[in-house]
Amino acid sequence: MRIKSMMGMPTRIECIFFSEFHPTLGPKITYQVPEEYISRELFDTVQVYIITKPELQNKLITVTAMGKKLIGCPVCIEHKKYSRNALLFNLGLVCDARTNTCSLEPIVKKLSGYLTTLELESGFISKEESKQKLLPIMSTLLEDLNATGACTLPIDESNTIHLKLIQLRKDPPIVQEYDVPVFTQCKDHFIKSQWDLTTQQILPYIDGFRHIQKISAEADVELNLVRIAVQNLLYYGVVTLVSIFQYSNVYCTTPKVQSLIDDKSIQEECLNYVTKQGQKRASLRDVFQLYCGLSPGTTVRDLCSRYSQQLQRVDERRLIQFGLMKCLIRRLQKYPVKVIRDERSRPPRLYTGCHSYDEICCKTGRV
Amino acid sequence: IVCAFQVLLMGKSGSGKTSMRSIIFANYIARDTRRLGATIDVEHSHVRFLGNLVLNLWDCGGQDTFMENYFTSQRDNIFRNVEVLIYVFDVESRELEKDMHYYQSCLEAILQNSPDAKVFCLVHKMDLVQEDQRDLIFKEREEDLRRLSRPLACTCFRTSIWDETLYKAWSSIVYQLIPNVQQLETNLRNFAQIIEADEVLLFERATFLVISHYQCKEQRDAHRFEKISNIIKQFKLSCSKLAASFQSMEVRNSNFAAFIDVFTSNTYVMVIMSDPSIPSAATLINIRNARKHFEKLERVDGPKHSLHMRMR
Repeated sequence: MRIKSMMGMPTRIECIFFSEFHPTLGPKITYQVPEEYISRELFDTVQVYIITKPELQNKLITVTAMGKKLIGCPVCIEHKKYSRNALLFNLGLVCDARTNTCSLEPIVKKLSGYLTTLELESGFISKEESKQKLLPIMSTLLEDLNATGACTLPIDESNTIHLKLIQLRKDPPIVQEYDVPVFTQCKDHFIKSQWDLTTQQILPYIDGFRHIQKISAEADVELNLVRIAVQNLLYYGVVTLVSIFQYSNVYCTTPKVQSLIDDKSIQEECLNYVTKQGQKRASLRDVFQLYCGLSPGTTVRDLCSRYSQQLQRVDERRLIQFGLMKCLIRRLQKYPVKVIRDERSRPPRLYTGCHSYDEICCKTGRV
Repeated sequence: IVCAFQVLLMGKSGSGKTSMRSIIFANYIARDTRRLGATIDVEHSHVRFLGNLVLNLWDCGGQDTFMENYFTSQRDNIFRNVEVLIYVFDVESRELEKDMHYYQSCLEAILQNSPDAKVFCLVHKMDLVQEDQRDLIFKEREEDLRRLSRPLACTCFRTSIWDETLYKAWSSIVYQLIPNVQQLETNLRNFAQIIEADEVLLFERATFLVISHYQCKEQRDAHRFEKISNIIKQFKLSCSKLAASFQSMEVRNSNFAAFIDVFTSNTYVMVIMSDPSIPSAATLINIRNARKHFEKLERVDGPKHSLHMRMR
């Protein structure tokens, strides 16, 4: 599985280099794969960020120059046994300047840690015979990380390096008790046993209609645990969130509803999804009319009474659910505000205009 | 008003530049310099000297990669507005031709960008040369360097961090930068004559480099100034390691009395009296009375009378 970065470009490593500070020659590239990738000019431009002054040592540094991005971590090991009292080196990666390199950063940090440990334990870098092993190691690293995003490398009899590119995703939104999780793909796609116990326990109750509070009650799992488990599923794109279905809800279409006409695959998916069980497949015309019938002021109940003919073969709950999942429609929330107040009554707790109708229903046990 | 001077410290890698700088300006003792790491690219330090003088010291790492950069991509940045170039040679170097090549590249860049800069060559690590060979070897090097440096003039010193020669060189270098040195010397002479001192030395307070002196007659040891700098600086550092700060000292025998004391906010003074009949107290009072006068000198008459002035 190729790791795709957030910008959609695969994170391809163009070159791996090992740079050192030589006591008389100064900063140089000792090894690089592929050979000659970093030009003399490029190295001269960026060397001060590769073999750095003390203030920048042991920090992850990414520098962009001449169309390339170099990610490295300059290491300094101080000891009087080294010429000039310190060993300075940097194992870094080079990518195209447009690449999003976030997922490579932990790799670089980990590599610098490994090399530091190897040096401290057995002088791996300061001894010529063992330093030479770096070249084949770097070759393998480059190949494996680009091919599979992971690499397992035995270094010597007692040490093995394990590396993996982890794709960073956006932080998921906070899950509220009145949110409804729904699977983005067929439930059976996800191997149940790979999830933690809590998630396994709530999975059967995720049906796109039960909201968090209900799932918590029915699955007998504490509310916050359900929230966290669903948030986790959200992070990995296993579920998405929709709102509670009530016939009093109001929805309206989004510009994306056009895709129902333009995109054949969405059409197919939609018609299969919304057709009532046991009925002939609903027609696109009917379904499209129904979606377009949704507008501010029109409740689902209104829709049902106006379009009863179109709804003969369509399950209105699944219609709404599909529309929300694919962002063809959106929910119009309402926020009640208590208007009439006299000195005797307490200040409103929920009817302040800050709490949605769904939230109020949930908190007052109406759903 | 402050005068700032750009001072380039260059030389091959490991020749001793950072060690020297640390001893003179950063209170290192010679033994401490063993711990120093290599200088990466250029290390900048601002040294405040005598209150109205700032030395922008550019300690340039001497590895090949850095040197090549100085002469190419960093040329303008490094060699413009240079007041002083101090070039350090390791006397034990086995690559004399390469050393000379770099030195000449420096001179070329200086000639193009700062032709009025003063050039000093330090033939360093002389302690590694057999004692009886030192004068000879230094003479040879000095001749070579003078010849190579033409049309620029260079002043050569032999130095080692293990003796007073380091202080002699740096004193002489800094001396040439002090804005009102003539004035200081005139006043020092007047002071010495009034109190009937044999000799009076003025030291910069932090570095203990001799910046001015007066003597009424020839003395035996021409190197006494730097020896004193070295000795007192070491002593001062030893005191501070015990959390005590050195203030003053009186040394007396049948032939002379020497007084070392804090003088102005930026200087120490050393007064040598060979007349044993004059009591310590008298000399000390004289020193105290002179302080105010010299303090005023330092503040008011500074840069106005200097020939070199550069605003940074």
